[in-house]
Amino acid sequence: MTARADVVERAAAAYRALADLAETIEDEWQYVTDLTEAYLPSLEALAKTDSGRPLPTGPVEAVDEAIAEIGLITDPHRAIDWLSTFPHVVALAFGGDVDQPAGVEKPGATEPESDEPDDDSPFRMLLRRPDR
Amino acid sequence: MRFQDAARDARAVVYAGIQADPLVARLATLLAEAEASERWMARAVMNGERTDPQKWRRIFPSLFGEAAPAAVADHAERVLAASLEVANRGEQVRSQYRGAVVEELTARLLARRAGAVKRERRVLFDGVPAEIHPYDVTVESAERPEVYDCKWGARGINADVLNQLDDARAHAAEEEIELRVAIVVFDARRSAELRLDRSTARHDETRLVALESIDELAEAGA
Repeated sequence: MTARADVVERAAAAYRALADLAETIEDEWQYVTDLTEAYLPSLEALAKTDSGRPLPTGPVEAVDEAIAEIGLITDPHRAIDWLSTFPHVVALAFGGDVDQPAGVEKPGATEPESDEPDDDSPFRMLLRRPDR
Repeated sequence: MRFQDAARDARAVVYAGIQADPLVARLATLLAEAEASERWMARAVMNGERTDPQKWRRIFPSLFGEAAPAAVADHAERVLAASLEVANRGEQVRSQYRGAVVEELTARLLARRAGAVKRERRVLFDGVPAEIHPYDVTVESAERPEVYDCKWGARGINADVLNQLDDARAHAAEEEIELRVAIVVFDARRSAELRLDRSTARHDETRLVALESIDELAEAGA
């Protein structure tokens, strides 16, 4: 298993644990289920764009640090907030996105040729911005 | 149809103090100039458990890594510092600050294209009992009035909010006024759409503005 697939698997496991905590808010069970069913496949799909090349340490450290952050959550209300946030944080680290259902590519989307983020990632837009 | 200041009960007075805190204005100003990745960082930090900035810098290498341009890192550093100030306020207070920040950000972006942007206003219609809750932000243009409800997270979207917005739109239409109604969510569009998909309250004419596209509030014709 490559570093990218490995860290995505850790992120998915952490996400499932977060969902288990969030589910304890009975009134929000449906929303928690909807979030999990939407984001978990998209999160797991981030591993499928693995080029096989070694992943720079930055994204792996970032995702592991984010996993550590959600591992500290004990409040199920806060867990619901993070069910929506965590996939996007992971995607930012990889330069991917989790806005589409898994398996649905954005028009024109292709696998990145390098370890740099995708062209449509917010990170790329930031780097291209000459000034602020 | 007319706009009116909301009555100031005790809760409103306390909340007004938070809205007036310079931290809210500072963070909203920074977020108005930010890119989406910085806004995600702000959301994560203000939802976060840890307040060690180094942890957050590691989580967002695109903003703080060696490859990040100095100007990007500098701006992100200021967003991080202000977000941590909110996070450090404690759970109860931080949630009020987060709401105030989203409202202030919305007002600042709208002010780039509209003149009469106001806060905490009610909308009154002849012969219709007034709603108890004021709208967070209003654009009080005679030609194109707008009302906004602002939420920190998609979870804040509920039937009461959607009904109030759509009722206002419908009552305005009865007076032949096109009132644009919108809900602003400092959260993922996908999450907000999941929430809306389950709602039975009418929302087909209520615009959704999410974190990824919040800049559109400032765009003419938006």
